[in-house]
This record gives sequence, structure tokens and C-alpha cells, in this order.
Amino acid sequence: MTKPNSKINLAVYWGAACGGCCVSILDVHEQLFDIVAAANLVFWPIALDIKYDDVRAMPDGHIDVTLFNGAIRNSENEEMATLLRKKSKLLVAYGSCSHMGGIPGLANFSNKEEIFQRVYHDSESTINKDKIRPVPKFEVAEGILELPVFYDSVRLLKEVVNVDYFMPGCPPQTERLVEVFMAIVSGAELPPAGSVIGAGDKAQCEECERKKTENKQITKFYRPWEIEDDGETCFLEQGVICMGPATRSGCGHRCITGNGQCRGCYGPCSDTIDPGAKMMSAIAGLVDSKDPEEIEQILNDIPDPAGTFYRFSLPSSIIRRSLS
Amino acid sequence: MNDIRIGVYVCSCGTNIAKMVDVELVKTTVEKLPNVAMVRNYKYMCSNPGQEMIIQDIKDNDLNRIVVAACSPNMHERTFRAALRSAGLNQYLFEMANIREQCSWVHEDRIEATEKAIDLIIGSVKRVALHEALESMEVDMNPNILVIGGGIAGLTAALELAEAGNKVHLVEKQNKLGGNISRVDLTAPYLYSARDLLTERITKVNENPLIDLHLNSKVSDLKGFLGNFTATIDKQNGKPGKESAQTVVDIGNVAVCTGYKEFDASRITHYGYGKLPNVITSFELEKMIRNGQVVTKEGKIPQYVAIIHCVGSRNQEFHAYCSRVCCMTALKYVHEIKSMNPKSYVSDIYIDMHAFGKGHEDFYRRSSEVKTLFLMYEKSDRPVIHRAEPKDDCEMLIEVNEILSGELIEIPADLVVLMVGMEASDDSNEIARLTNISQDKDGWFIESHPKLEPVATTTDGIFIAGACVAPKDIPDSVAQARAAAARILSKVSKGKIEVDAVYSEVNEEICSGCRLCNSLCPFSAIEFLEEEQRSHIISALCKACGVCVAACPSSAINGRQFTDRQLIAQIDGLFNHMEALDV
Repeated sequence: MTKPNSKINLAVYWGAACGGCCVSILDVHEQLFDIVAAANLVFWPIALDIKYDDVRAMPDGHIDVTLFNGAIRNSENEEMATLLRKKSKLLVAYGSCSHMGGIPGLANFSNKEEIFQRVYHDSESTINKDKIRPVPKFEVAEGILELPVFYDSVRLLKEVVNVDYFMPGCPPQTERLVEVFMAIVSGAELPPAGSVIGAGDKAQCEECERKKTENKQITKFYRPWEIEDDGETCFLEQGVICMGPATRSGCGHRCITGNGQCRGCYGPCSDTIDPGAKMMSAIAGLVDSKDPEEIEQILNDIPDPAGTFYRFSLPSSIIRRSLS
Repeated sequence: MNDIRIGVYVCSCGTNIAKMVDVELVKTTVEKLPNVAMVRNYKYMCSNPGQEMIIQDIKDNDLNRIVVAACSPNMHERTFRAALRSAGLNQYLFEMANIREQCSWVHEDRIEATEKAIDLIIGSVKRVALHEALESMEVDMNPNILVIGGGIAGLTAALELAEAGNKVHLVEKQNKLGGNISRVDLTAPYLYSARDLLTERITKVNENPLIDLHLNSKVSDLKGFLGNFTATIDKQNGKPGKESAQTVVDIGNVAVCTGYKEFDASRITHYGYGKLPNVITSFELEKMIRNGQVVTKEGKIPQYVAIIHCVGSRNQEFHAYCSRVCCMTALKYVHEIKSMNPKSYVSDIYIDMHAFGKGHEDFYRRSSEVKTLFLMYEKSDRPVIHRAEPKDDCEMLIEVNEILSGELIEIPADLVVLMVGMEASDDSNEIARLTNISQDKDGWFIESHPKLEPVATTTDGIFIAGACVAPKDIPDSVAQARAAAARILSKVSKGKIEVDAVYSEVNEEICSGCRLCNSLCPFSAIEFLEEEQRSHIISALCKACGVCVAACPSSAINGRQFTDRQLIAQIDGLFNHMEALDV
């Protein structure tokens, strides 16, 4: 794609995202100098004042690599995804939101109407006597004002455009970014299109140093603050739902090292279609009871099951969204 | 060559399917599906011409996947797999759509049933496109056999197996052979001596050089799978505290013949067992008979003997089932008591007289002729035993609400015999766990099919026989023991065993060693490899139930022939027929 020693054109864009992915790029610290030595940053709204029109003016394929973070929530996200696809040789879905829907994807448990009702009318901090809602087009004396159209569902980047690679994480681990970036600029052979990059093939447990035994029978589920964690025993064996067994390694199991359970941002291992469903059926097998009522009681202790099992992956799951 | 060419065969099953499903419409609809090369209707797909049709079509039309829409795969999957094999196609490139049991038989609307049949077939077509050719494995069969239990069933099975030339390890927990029958005097209904029956068996066992007898022993561990088990046998040295000696044996099959124990009569408090000295159990009476005299605790010949049936049996409070042998045993006591003490009056207090076996009705008739008083009581209205007053000239009085006369009858008794039922033996849970077989709610071992597989279990290579399966008399136990032996011999004679290619396997590239699956396998097929930190499935033990496949959070466990992708494709086909048909 590019000759060694020649600079590549790099773009970074955010769709429905929190900004953390962009910050993860800044987190390369002094290695930023290596990056800018190897790449021209041609577009990065959070850091550089380059306009959409400037991108539109670029010839097709002008950008070597676009790191697209954030999900597709509105028409602007979709428009920019389509534009950047056209302008980029490699389009990388960067971070959990563009990979699987991420935290914004949890909005798929509601629809647009419910979200607007909450945000513009019912929320405790809202005063909106005139019941004004955003509309895509609004006429004022000076002309027509436009806003992006808010969609009913959050979608993944790959549902809108063809994606070359997926780099998971909320946000992706900065070390992985540097590795991937260096591989690209050095002209190393890249994995087949459609691959997940910057992550391991096995689940978190492969790297996790906590003690794991076969004794994972659960009689009560706990939230992390309800247990006195010994810092050594597998979270599941302590009744805390850790998404680690259903989640790719690669992040350096940072949450677990910080005595927090894995929340699943790195997404499923390669053969898994729906990590939330997988983890639910795994958990179901661990409940230590044969009495249906007791089982129900134990499972009822799981706080926010949808948010626990589908925290980062709802739009990419088999259920995709709630039926409205 | 890589094109997927599916042949779909829609069976009418005479009129079983065709009367509720429009098979012609099914054919013309399914023909439009992608990857479907041809569709045929036929009256009986399972018939020889039906199978021949598939074989010929595979050869003539380069079909590489087959769907048969007919009955349950339980019925004919093997039949059609065999047809694929004869046509030179891998037998796993096949799927059955059940449009009989799950469709034509259970619906009443022809239009809806036809639509459902189409959906079921679309699901199968989408699934079979993802099927892969699988090869089954062959493993050697160890011809040695472990028989657990030295009662009549265990002795018979051991002899049958050893006489066919196989090494048998016979394990008995007591210090002698014979089991419960060694506590019995005569047998009903022909009044043969139980001792004679046993002596013949035991002598032969002792003399057979191929039988290794392990008395005072129990099996403490059993590992492996059909054809290749390893059993650890612990021999107690007789003195408590002394260490037991362990023997490890390799075997290919196991016959579990662990029998039963009698119901503890003291659990029914108002019969006064344990408090009234002359209320005894049937086994205590047997002991008296074997010792040559039936007398009361005081050493007197009882003038009045009462026999009460169904003690612990046929009662929701204790055991709901019938113990099957007690009725005839009670009649046997009538004869034995009468012949020892001709002046005794015997009354027999029963719920129903179960005389279902060969010669039993005749035995019942002969017992009625020896002046026995038969009194029938209601299941829920048990007789009540009182201590008698001195004026009554007997030790106890029994009140019975007699059904046939409709009267409350009081009868005298000097000796009361309680016909205690059978219950699962104390170590049945332990045996079930060791051998990986299931128990019903009463603790009896569960056969793999109650009618067609009465001595096999859901664990290959583990067979059950005798009263450990359910209450049974001697002929039934012996028949089961010989049946179990025959089943084992048929496996041993093949020398090798084919293990179905449908089993679960761990993808070591993905397994992270989280150990979530380790304790879930109902067949103990999953082991954890400490060195590699990976879970591993012993394929010969795996029954492809899918528990671990569902539970593996990283999808490292794959159920062959039941992959997530295959199942999702099938579900997709079931619910998206419009899309599949491109309309």
C-alpha cells in the first residue's frame, strides 16, 4: 500500500462516541512523534481544524488509513462514514462503538420517541415549556438551519459501509494502536480483510492471573462493592459477573488488574456470534440449584442483566434492539 | 465441484403426512430455494425403493447434500444415513425435517400445516448447506468386564460373561455372595429352595478361573469410556481403621447389579414395629423359617398369624410404586407357616392381590384353599394394631376396614408379619455418580429406553440389571442379567467400537482455560489439562448433549453437526421463508 520511508495519510473521525477513543490516540505520549514522522494527519476533528468540505475535496483513496470511532446514531455519522470510506484505502472500525455499538448502542433498548421524550421533556433537569424538539430542518429569517436526522436505532459502522479491520476496546489499548500503526507503516503483511486486529484470539482468562478452579457454582450474585475481594480468586468464583471468559484479550486485562471485573469492551472471541447470549448461557450453567424458584431468585440478583451482558455489544447481537 | 447441490425428498408416509400436508405444493415451493437441485415426492421414503431413489439421484445428479422431510430423525435418521453411505456420500451431509410428528400429526388445518412443513424444510435446507463431512472414530474394546453386585443378577451376569470366555471382575460389598436371596428360604410360586438356586450359581462362580472375585469390596473410582474403563476396587480388611487394599483393573463394560434394600418398617409408626415384640418383618420371618420354627418372641407357637401387605409400598407417603414380589411371598408364607404349624390360623391383609406372573394365579388359588382368611383394605386406610386385653386370648388385635364386606373387622394375632417393600439401596447414589447413570425420583437406575432398552443406560458401556432398576422377582432379575450379558457380549465380539462423529470438541486455539465448563458435563467427558491450562473433551465419552457448547463463553467448544452457525441458519430458515424464497 505504501512504500517504507514515505509518509502515509492518516485520518481519525468520531461518530456517536464519547471522545475517549480520540484521547486514546493522544495517549501514545511521546510516541506521537513517531506517528507524525510516519504519517500526515489529514483529518481529525477533535484535534485539527480541517473541514468536511476539505475531505470532500480530497481525491478518492487519498487517505491511507481512517480510524473511525463511534457508532452510527444519526445521518451525519452515516454521511461521514460513507464519505470516509470513499476517501480511504483502509477503513478501521476503531473502538467498541464502531465495532459493536458500544455504550451508545444501549439506546437500542429504547426508540427515538422514547429517547426524545426523556431527554427533551421528562428528565429532571429539563425545562421545556414550549415542548420544543430538534427538527432536521428549521426556517429562520437568515435561511434554513439543518440538523442531522436522529435515527431510531444505533448501527455499527459495518452496517453502513464496508469495513477493512476492527480494532476493539473502550477505548483500544494505546500499545495495541502503536503496534497496529507501526505494522501498517512498515508495510508488514496485513491480516485478511474483515479481521479483528490489535487483540488476542483467546479470552481474558488466558492472561488473567487470578486463580481459576472448576469450582464456579454460584448461589448468589454480587456487585463488586458487596464482596471483600481477596485480589486473587476468579471473580466468577466470588459471584461477581466478569465478562472476561467471553471477551478477547489484548487490553492487558487492566480492569481485572485494577481489581475490577471485565466488562467486555474488547468484544467476543473469533467464533462467537453473540457474546451476551454466550455469557448468559454460561452463567445459567453455574447457578448452584435445582429448584426452579430458587434459580429464579438467584438470577434476579443480577443487576441490570441487559446492561451487564450487552454493555458494549447490543446492536451487534442477535437481538439487535428491543421491539418497539 | 464446490457447488452445493441439495436433494430434497418429501415423504407422504402413506397418508400420515399427505392427509394434512399438501406435499405437491411443498415440492413446487421448495424447488425455488437456492442450492436445491431437485425435489421429489414419494409415498414411503424409508422403503427400499425410496432409499434407492436417493442413492440413484446422488450418483446421477451429483447431489452433495440430502434433506429428507418425513418422520422424526429418531425413527429413520440411521436409515437415510446408510443410504448416503451406499451412494458414496458422507453420511453427515444429511438432515431430516420432521413433518410428521411435529407437523401433520399435531395440526388440524391443512393450509397452516403445509406452510409449517415448508418452513421446517427451508430451515433444514439452510442448515444442511453448512454441514461438513465428518468421520467417525474407532477404538479398541477391552473384553474384560466389571460386574458390581454379587446377588442373583450379578452372579448370573458374571457367569454368562465368563462362560463366553471373558475375564470378569465381580465386586461384592459383603463378605459372601448371594445378596438378598441368601436371606430367603423358599421361592414363590413353585416353592423351590432359594439356597439351591444360589448354591449352584455360587459354586460355578467360585470354580470359574475367569472370574476374579472381590468380596468385602467396593468400586471407589471409575474412569474412561465404553471399551476402555479403569476401575479402582477397594477391599476392606474387615477391621475398621485398617487401610483398605486397592486394585486397579481395566475393563470395557460394566454391569451394575446392586439390588435393593428392604423398607424400614419402623417408619410406619402405628404398626408398632420395634415396639411390639411380635410384629416382625418378612425377612425376620424368613430367618425363623430357615431356622426351622416359627415362634413368638416368648417361644410359643403362634395360634394366630396375620400378614400385612404393602408396607412402605403403594403409598404416597413412602413409596408410590408396587414392590412386585411381596404378594406372592406372602402367599408363600401362608404355605410355610401352615406346614410348620398346621394349627395356626393365618389371615392375609392386602390392598390388591397382584398375581401377574407365570403360575401366580394358580398359586393364589391354592393358597385360598388352605383356609386362609383374606381381608382387603383400602390403600389410604391402613389396618391398626392394638395390644390385646388378657381376656382376648391372643396377643394383639388388628382392626381392618374390610372393603369386600364393608365391615370393620377385628382379628386376633400373636404374630404379625409386615411385608416390607423394596427400596433403592443405600449406596445407589454413589453407584450412580461413579458410573454416570441417572436415577429416578425413588433412586432406581434409569434405563435408556423403558421398553426397548431395558438394561442399557445413557452411558455407553454401563448396563443395569435386576432390582437396582426397579423392584423385580428372581426370574425377571435373571432375565435382565442375561440380557445385560448378551448386550455386553455383542459389543465385546466386535472387538472395536465406532464412536459417533457427532461430539463436542475444544478448539485449543481459542480455549482460555476459564474452566467454566469443567463441572457441567453430565457424562464427565471434560478434563482439564493442567500443563496446557486447557479444557479437553474425551470424545468417546461425549454424548453431544451440547451443555458445554452452550456454556463456553468464548465459543471454544464446538458441537460437531450442531455448530452455532448451522443452528442459526436453520432458525433463520424457519422464520424468514419469504426472504429465503426471494418473494
